[in-house]
Amino acid sequence: MILLGKIVLGVAGVAVAGVLCSEGLVCVKVIEREPRGLHINVVAPAMLAPIAVHFARQRDLARAAREIQPYMPAIRATLDGLRDTDDVVFVEVKEPDEHVRVSKSGDAIVVDVDDVAETVHVSAPVRAISNTVEQLAAASSNPL
Amino acid sequence: MRETMRRRAQIATVLCLLAAGTTAAVGPAMAAPAERYLHVNVDDPTRGARVNVNVTLAMAEKILPAINNHDLHDGKVVIHNTEMNGVDVRALLDAVRTAPDNEFVTVKEKDSDVRVAKANGNIIVHVIDKKNKEQRVDVTVPLKVVDALLDTAKNDELDIVAALRALSNVGDVLLVTVQDSSQKVRVWVDSRNSQD
Repeated sequence: MILLGKIVLGVAGVAVAGVLCSEGLVCVKVIEREPRGLHINVVAPAMLAPIAVHFARQRDLARAAREIQPYMPAIRATLDGLRDTDDVVFVEVKEPDEHVRVSKSGDAIVVDVDDVAETVHVSAPVRAISNTVEQLAAASSNPL
Repeated sequence: MRETMRRRAQIATVLCLLAAGTTAAVGPAMAAPAERYLHVNVDDPTRGARVNVNVTLAMAEKILPAINNHDLHDGKVVIHNTEMNGVDVRALLDAVRTAPDNEFVTVKEKDSDVRVAKANGNIIVHVIDKKNKEQRVDVTVPLKVVDALLDTAKNDELDIVAALRALSNVGDVLLVTVQDSSQKVRVWVDSRNSQD
């Protein structure tokens, strides 16, 4: 009976993890170079990003939603274009003390910044960005 | 009977292999046309700095019509006469595209040399600014792109989206180079997704 319970729990865990990760993962990594500098490494299911929007303060959400509205057609077109594009480095800036790279890799947009002060790596699936932005835009039509 | 069955099976296998081979050989040729990329490269060896930008033309075509800001609307940009000091850009471009291959303008001055010509289906502009660090500017615009800029736009507009579409059909082309003593800028179109 206990064994059966463990199997069910294991299968349910795998299923939940599978569903959560079905839209890919958002990765954020920040490493400050100074002593005792910040070290952040977050890997979270991308599916949580649109859900997280619901937990933002309604007042802030409504303001952000109003501000993003005029740009929504351009944002939608950009995300639509990104979805159809092959893997590519969109922008790369190389300076003696700084390296910035914005690229598409697989289904994700990847931003890497490497300079004297810190290293930053952010990657997020296009679909998750799209869903989050749509959630944010929709917030303006929701009653406060 | 068994012999006949075996022979049929052999023939079927050979046909399947042939079909697979043909599909593999012809497949890539029938695949969707390769993506076209607009590349911008800024190289400043004196500062050790380099900027690369790679954008697919298809993506730019999708995004531009969605941006409505100031003089950019629905992928078309409005040209104000006042900004051009009374020069009618459309009339000028129209005159150039209908003229035969020729050198239209050659100006040689103490501070600058300017040359505007039409050759091999391109409009070519060379400018050498002797005052400004020996800056050289070379611009090559395929006439098909000029046609697209003008064809569907109103009198005071240039159709940028149509020009991008035309650009994706003209083959690899180096559009702009700007070079001075410290920097080099290049803008070109090809089918490679990187600048390596």
